[in-house]
Amino acid sequence: MQDIRLRAGTAALLSLAAFTGTIGAAVVFIWWLIFASPLQVLRKMRAVIPAILLIAFFGVVLELTGGGGIAYCLRMTVIILIGAWVYTGYREGEFLSLWVWLLGKKIGFDLGMIAETGMQSLHLMVTDLLRIRQAQELKGKPFGPGNLVPAGSILIRDAIRRADETAELMAMRGYTNGGSYCPVFVTPLRDIIAGIAALCMGIIAFVPVSEFFILYH
Amino acid sequence: MKISLARVRAHRGNWTLFAQGTFEEGIHLVSGDVGSGKSTLALLLAGLSLPASGMVERDAIASAMIAFQFPEFHVTGPDLECECKAWGVDPAPVLAAAGLAGRERTNPLDLSRGELKRLILGCVLARDYDLLILDEPFSSLDCAEKERLCTRLSGQKRGITIIFTHENAHFPRVDRIWEIQGGVLYDRGRLPSALGHWDHAPAIVKRLIAQRKVPANISHADLLEAACRT
Repeated sequence: MQDIRLRAGTAALLSLAAFTGTIGAAVVFIWWLIFASPLQVLRKMRAVIPAILLIAFFGVVLELTGGGGIAYCLRMTVIILIGAWVYTGYREGEFLSLWVWLLGKKIGFDLGMIAETGMQSLHLMVTDLLRIRQAQELKGKPFGPGNLVPAGSILIRDAIRRADETAELMAMRGYTNGGSYCPVFVTPLRDIIAGIAALCMGIIAFVPVSEFFILYH
Repeated sequence: MKISLARVRAHRGNWTLFAQGTFEEGIHLVSGDVGSGKSTLALLLAGLSLPASGMVERDAIASAMIAFQFPEFHVTGPDLECECKAWGVDPAPVLAAAGLAGRERTNPLDLSRGELKRLILGCVLARDYDLLILDEPFSSLDCAEKERLCTRLSGQKRGITIIFTHENAHFPRVDRIWEIQGGVLYDRGRLPSALGHWDHAPAIVKRLIAQRKVPANISHADLLEAACRT
């Protein structure tokens, strides 16, 4: 989906639909299979599988201790898949376009810039984590739970340092708030079809099935 | 002992790096502009990334190490002493050489980038590797530290040492010069004949060659000797 307005709206609607119950999660999963290029998403974002496994672990614990774990696991898995779809479709600058379009050149610009710098940091952290893993393995320390603390510490410190430097640089260049930006969006037919399909999935998830079948009454 | 690149290609979006050649025992300098593909090639040689096509072949290399440009990536210890031990080296001499004696309990991440770079390079160079790859080893170091590192590297007696850098003032004595230009790795040959074909040569080297005072090598002492030659 090229249009960030449709992508963000669709993601919000589908996440909500998936969270409402297992039927919602099922229809959203079908939408994901049809419109989200699943193989491409899984190939681009390898962290999806470990994240789902982690959710599955907590789901099992929940199921054994109080019940409802499987439903929770299914709903959260679908939400993760939708999140991965949004993340892998990201193009530089599109959150700035979205927020400026939504809230204008003052608050919208600031929120868009925060979102953009956040995405930039996320990209850098993914690359940095790979280098950290490689460096630790070269030292004969296979990457595992024991190395998570130093790795996390490095990533967080680096992210804070970069944020600090960016803020100082922007202040030096005279930035206070807001900015001039003209968002441009491209909306192909496929995006509109996927958006309408998502809306249908949302209706199915939120409206009880019996409402669709008049004869049932 | 050697590492060979057989028609190796690496891709990053529309950009491609092509590399072919053999790195034999000795000190190799790979120069190129920022973004030319030096780190990509370093990762390929270290075996940390795979080429899109072609092969990287190692012959009689039992141990290999790469020092990344950003020293933070290497940190695993909660303090300097533990960090040195994690590298399998004696902390006292390494910390002393890095100018960090007495700071054994300091968190490595509390050091400045330059101090951390000195520490990590000290740990890396304290051990013997058949293949040692240094990605931008001079970045974050001041001139005195760069010269100290050059002296240390010039003294490498065994193994293959490959230095990737865009540095143009401080160099150790090297055996061979390579250059990445337009996405292709070029072997400029052994020194001093390589100097005539080295496009990224520092201005001082180019000037000396123009004056027909070809230096024997590119270390500070060699350049000084050539400059003072009558």
